Formats: sequence, structure tokens, C-alpha cells
Amino acid sequence: MKSISLYVDKDTCLTRLHPFAKMFYILAAVSAPLIGGALWIYGLFLAISLCLLISGKIIRKVFPLIAFSFTIIITIFLIHGLFNQENQKVLFHLGPLVFYEEGLLYAARIGLNILNMLLAFATFVLTTKPADLVDDLEQAGFSPRFGYMISSVFQIIPQMMGTMNTIMDAQRSRGMETEGSLFVRAKAFIPLISPVVSSSLINTRERAIALEVRGFDSKNKKTFLREHKLAGKDKTFMLLMALLIAGSIVWRVLTWL
Amino acid sequence: MALIEVTNLKYRYPHTENLALDGIDFKVEKGQFIGIAGENKAGKSTLCQAFAGLVPTMFRGAYGGKLLIDGAEAAKTPIAELCQRVGLVFQNPFNQLSGAKDTVFEEIAFGLQNLGIPREEIFKRVEENLKLLDIEEYRDRNPFDLSGGQTQRVAIASILAMEPQVIVLDEPTSQLDPQGSEEVFRVVEKLAKTGITIIMVEQKMEKLASYCDKILLLHKGKQIAYDTPERIFSRDDLEELGVKPPVYTQVCRALEVSRVEGGDRLYPVTLAQMERLRDQFPPKLSGRTFVSGGQEIDGQAVFRIQDLTFHYLPDIPVIEHLDLLLDARPTAIIGQNGAGKTTLVKLLKGLLKPNAGNIFFDDEDISQKTVAQLAGKVGYVFQNPDDQIFKNRVMEEVMVGPLNLGKSREEAHKLAADALEMVGLTEAAEENPYDLDLSERKMVAIASVMAMDTKVLILDEPTIAQDAKGRVVLGRIVRTLSKKGKFVLAILHDMDFVAEYFERVIIMAHGKVLSDGPGEKVFYEKESLLKARLEQPHTARLCERLGYEGAFLTAEDMKV
Repeated sequence: MKSISLYVDKDTCLTRLHPFAKMFYILAAVSAPLIGGALWIYGLFLAISLCLLISGKIIRKVFPLIAFSFTIIITIFLIHGLFNQENQKVLFHLGPLVFYEEGLLYAARIGLNILNMLLAFATFVLTTKPADLVDDLEQAGFSPRFGYMISSVFQIIPQMMGTMNTIMDAQRSRGMETEGSLFVRAKAFIPLISPVVSSSLINTRERAIALEVRGFDSKNKKTFLREHKLAGKDKTFMLLMALLIAGSIVWRVLTWL
Repeated sequence: MALIEVTNLKYRYPHTENLALDGIDFKVEKGQFIGIAGENKAGKSTLCQAFAGLVPTMFRGAYGGKLLIDGAEAAKTPIAELCQRVGLVFQNPFNQLSGAKDTVFEEIAFGLQNLGIPREEIFKRVEENLKLLDIEEYRDRNPFDLSGGQTQRVAIASILAMEPQVIVLDEPTSQLDPQGSEEVFRVVEKLAKTGITIIMVEQKMEKLASYCDKILLLHKGKQIAYDTPERIFSRDDLEELGVKPPVYTQVCRALEVSRVEGGDRLYPVTLAQMERLRDQFPPKLSGRTFVSGGQEIDGQAVFRIQDLTFHYLPDIPVIEHLDLLLDARPTAIIGQNGAGKTTLVKLLKGLLKPNAGNIFFDDEDISQKTVAQLAGKVGYVFQNPDDQIFKNRVMEEVMVGPLNLGKSREEAHKLAADALEMVGLTEAAEENPYDLDLSERKMVAIASVMAMDTKVLILDEPTIAQDAKGRVVLGRIVRTLSKKGKFVLAILHDMDFVAEYFERVIIMAHGKVLSDGPGEKVFYEKESLLKARLEQPHTARLCERLGYEGAFLTAEDMKV
């Protein structure tokens, strides 16, 4: 079955790192530069993210993401570099275009923020199996219903996409034109919605029964197939991140004084 | 005390008038194998759900009487508790997967985790059941990637792992192809020997007859009888009840082979019982005459297939250099899964385009046309009706096709009404198709294609989920359309049905035609059948066992 999760199955340190530790990394990477306020902190975390991604052997998967984010970042640079209302100091000319320092700095901050968050999330999403995350969340005390909801999405959406193709064939077979111009194809898409929804609703009803007969509502405490506690390595990693956050607070206070 | 005691059980679904179960009353001892038989809507599935406590706990409605399982009242026990006593296996294996687990192993463990069984015990039980159901090799596969038969075995394993005292199987093979059904039946046979109490609903009466200690016969919610298979299938009113006895019984009845016990005439229900009455069989039977000579083409070719090649993945050919002429005789394509049957009919319908070669329909190359352009000429009914139901009224649904073809509303209505009459669903015209049961939805799907009045009607596995009455309706459709000069092409796994209604039979294996001709020829080409892993129709096998010479395809062929 085609998977919709972005998880890349590779046996690396990063994959083995506890999901909570990776989530804590996101927290650190996002909050520390905001607290510290200096641009170099962004640089630091971008460097850490890149190192992590390289060690996780998934750097190639990130390139398209970066490329995509650049289209947005360039637009931000153009708009703020040229038109930010606080623009005063002219930095350089590019033909008839005049770029200002204030605007560019502001744009740099937003751009770095976007890139930083993107890479931090990538380290998490690309190396964490959704099922493992859900399992760990449940072990940490989240309700199994919530966990089921998350993991079923990863199973059921690809299934619905398969159903959609079959239904499209059925529509064509009954004389609905689905091949040809964009307009024809778009028009053919609308009648697809109702059967896809109906058939998945029917499946949902049966699935609810299926869960019921498998003791989903049982009052007993659920057993987990593997105990996944934070290991020493995970704790060290999290401590390091906590230090970075603390460091950024210290930096902020020092620059204030 | 008996393990299961049902006393005067009555049940009515919410918002309905008739009782779905009306005065059911029987007992099951520990370790027995009980079959439940009856036509569609007899109350079989409802009864199964009552065992699991889903009726009335989940479905509500009016409930009366008692259903005791090992002393616990099913209606009053929480389902999470009851599921440790009674395991329920559904018709559709895909809908009983939890939908949240990535591997077969975790899927089987899911129920045990919910019940809070200790971890070591879970591992032990999952391993045991992987072995018992012969699915060890799939342990790390995604359950959604397995075939129907494999998935159903995973489903049974996941129920058995919870170690219930009773396992209830609600037509576990009705949505599987024969290969998948065989896999499941092999497992059921194995289970029967483990001493677990089994209750099974099934349309394949030959299976019920050979496994069951007793059969509960239901009709319109009422209990007709609860007795041994021999006594149940020797009843004279089976036809009115919509149940067709095993082929063995049909044959023995036709030849008046029976024994008398306690003043009742009993017909054999299994091959073994039949052989015991061997001396009663007539020494010689006439049977059908073999048709000599190869295939003859009567009239004009409908499809002309020339040097056709098709593959989904470049290095795995599905069909290679196929040449075939299809004329207007009703034709059945048989063969195992993966033989290329569905691929071939999808090519004929234009849903797939050939990689090489040509398909001519009425001397026109179809590769130049879109599927919608062909829709008015070639009709195709999908295997799963739910993939092709779009509207929320049966009449509207059946009218979709004719309207797409540019017919006026009046014309479309007339065509739809005729089609619904043929499938016997005139009275359901105003209902929502999703409120009908699977066998009826299948009929709606067939009607919706017939209403387009196409020259060709392609049916993909029409007999799955149909009871005896449904099969008769289907057979009548094949004959009526064929009389009107239409070409009916069907993919089938049900050899008895093929033998009865189709004039031409094509055996396919690995994208090639192994044998082609009338049933009385093809079904006696042992080598081709063996290669395609198919079996002869029941009657043919039976007559051979009894040593009759000649061609016998249906019970009617066995004339003295």
C-alpha cells in the first residue's frame, strides 16, 4: 500500500532517537532564536538541523522542501527590501530597484525563521514512524481513542485514494466522459465525491463494530507491545537542548543589560 | 448445562416493522459445529450479531427472549467482556481490520492489547495463531496489502488470539474468490478438530453438510428446523425456503437413492454417505453427448483480439500475444487469480489500453475511443457494487447510465424499470441503495448497466454473495439477454453456474487461453483444468467417482 507518511525507513541514530526527544528539539530550535533574538542563533540551529539530517542520511529528501521554501523567501525579500515602511538606509541599487537595509534585515529574520522551522520539523517527520509516535503518546498517558484516530488516518487515506480510482473507472464505464480537457476532468471530479464518502462511511460503521468486538472499549489497562522509555542517550540529547534554550535566555538578558 | 442456550429470541431493528428474529430456540453443546442456513434476509447475520452482543447493544431496537453463553446473558454483558467468550468473523475481511496497525503481527495483537493481556502472553498467542492459520510468512506485511483469503485468515487469527469459547463465522468466504475460500475452509476444518465451538453461516451447502453436527434452518426470521444435515437437506420444502441442498443430495433425489430412518426418507448429503448407498445407483446413465470438433463460430464475431499484449509493469507481462475471437454465445472465462481475466475484460471495455496488438469491436479498433464513447456499446459490471453506486435512490442510480447516453428522462425511466424488473428489485426502486444488503446492491449494479441496453454485457464475478434464488435470477438474465442477441461475457469462479448457463467456456492461465469450447468439452480436459488449478463441476466429479461414462455437468444431466 502506498503510504502517505513521510517517514523514511533507515536505521540511523536519528531514527532510533525517542520521538519525544525529537519533539523537544523542535521546541528548542523554534524557541531559542526567538528568545535570544540574535540572527546568529538561527544560523546555529540551521547548522545543527543540517548536521542531524546528514547523520540521518535523509538530507536528499529535504532539498525539494528547501527549494520550495525559497520561492516564498525570495518574495519576502523583494517585498520588504523594496517596500518596508521603515526603510530608510539605501543598501544597493539593482537597475531601477532600490533595496533598503531595514527591510532586508526584517526579511532575513522571517526567511531564517521559515527555513529553521522547516528543517527542525523535517528532522522529526522524516525519521519518526507515525505508529511509534502514537504508541509513545499513548504510553505517556494520551487516550487510546486519540491514538487510534491519528494512526487510522495514515491507513485510511491511501485506501480512499485507491477507491477513488476504481470509482472513476466505474463512472467512465457508465458513460461519463472523464478523459480530455481540464474542464472535462474537473467536471468529472464532482460526482466522485458522494460515492467515495458514502463507501467510506459504510466502512466506518463496520469498522466501529470491528473495534468493538476486539475489546476496544475494555476497561482494562492497555498492554503495549514494546516498552519505549527515554534512554540515557535521549535524556542527554534533551538536556543539551535545554541548555541551548537556557543559553539563549542568558544571552538575551546579557544583551539587555 | 449447554454452552449456548437460546430461548425464544426475538429482535426488531429500529425503524422497521418486521421482526428480524422471531422465536429462535436452540441449544449448542461445547465443541459442536453448528451451521446456519437460509436465504438472504432470513436473519442469519442478525443472529450472529446477537451472539456477539452487537444486537441489541450497538444496534438498539426491540429485543426479547434470552441468549445465554456459558451462563452470561449476551444482551446484558458489555461487548468488551463478551468478546472474550464469543469471537465474531465478518463477511468482508477488509472491514474487520483495526485500520490502525502496519503489520499482521500487530493487527493480531491489537485485541489482546486492548484487553490488557500481559506482554509475554500476547507474543505467545500471536505466534501460535500465526502458525495455526498458516500466515507466518506475512507477519511483517501490511494487512491491507494481502489478498482476500489471506486477510480473512488474519481476521480469524486476530479473533482466535483472544481465545473465545465460541467462534461465530458469518459467511466468511462470501466475498472471496474460490482460492481464498479454499484457504479459509482449510482453516475452518483445522479449527473444527481443535474442539472449539463453531457457529458458521454459509451458502456453500456442500461445506455445511460435511462439517456440521447440526444445522439451524431460518426463514424470514423464524426458526424452521434445527437438526442433522441429513434431515435438514432431505426436507421437501427447501426450494420454497430459498435453500438449495448439496449437489450430492440433488443427484440422489433425482435418482431416488435414499435410506429410511425412523419412518423418514433421508438422502445422502456428502460424498461419503453417497458411496455407502452405492448399490442403489443405476448401472448406467446417458448424460450429455460430447460435441466433437473444435470451436465453431456461429454468426459474426463481436470482439476480434489480435496479437494482444499488456503489462502493468514492463518486465511482468500479464497478457502476451493473445488471439481470440468472441462471438455472441454466452461465454464464461474461468481461471485462478492472476490469470489475467479481469485485465482482459478491462481491455475489452477500454479501461486499459493494450501495449501491443489490437482489439476490434464490430470491426472497429477500440483503442481510438474513450471509455465513455464505448459505454453505450459495452457494459461492464464491477466485482464490488459499492464502487459503482453513485445515487441515493435505486431508480435514480439505474437511470444514470441511460441519461449519460443522452436518453430522455422518460426513456431512461422505462429502461431502468425494465432492468429492475429483470433483477427482481422493482419494489426497491424508491429505496436508498446503501440500505439494501450486499446481494441486492450487486443486483442494482447489474441493473444499472443493463439499463444502458448495450450490445455487450460483461459481468465480473456476479455470483459472489448470491444465494440460491439470486443465482437463478442471474442465470435467467444470461439466457434472456442472449436470446435478445446480446453478448454476455462473465468472469466466474462458480463452476456449477458456468456449467448450467454458459455455452462457451474459456480457461485462462498466465494470460493465455488453455482451453476453449462448450462446457462438455472444456470440463473434461483434465490437463488444462489441472494447469489452471480449477476443478470440474460437482456433478461431473461425482459421476466420475460413481464410475459413469459420459458428460454430466448439472444434476439434470443425470438421466437414466
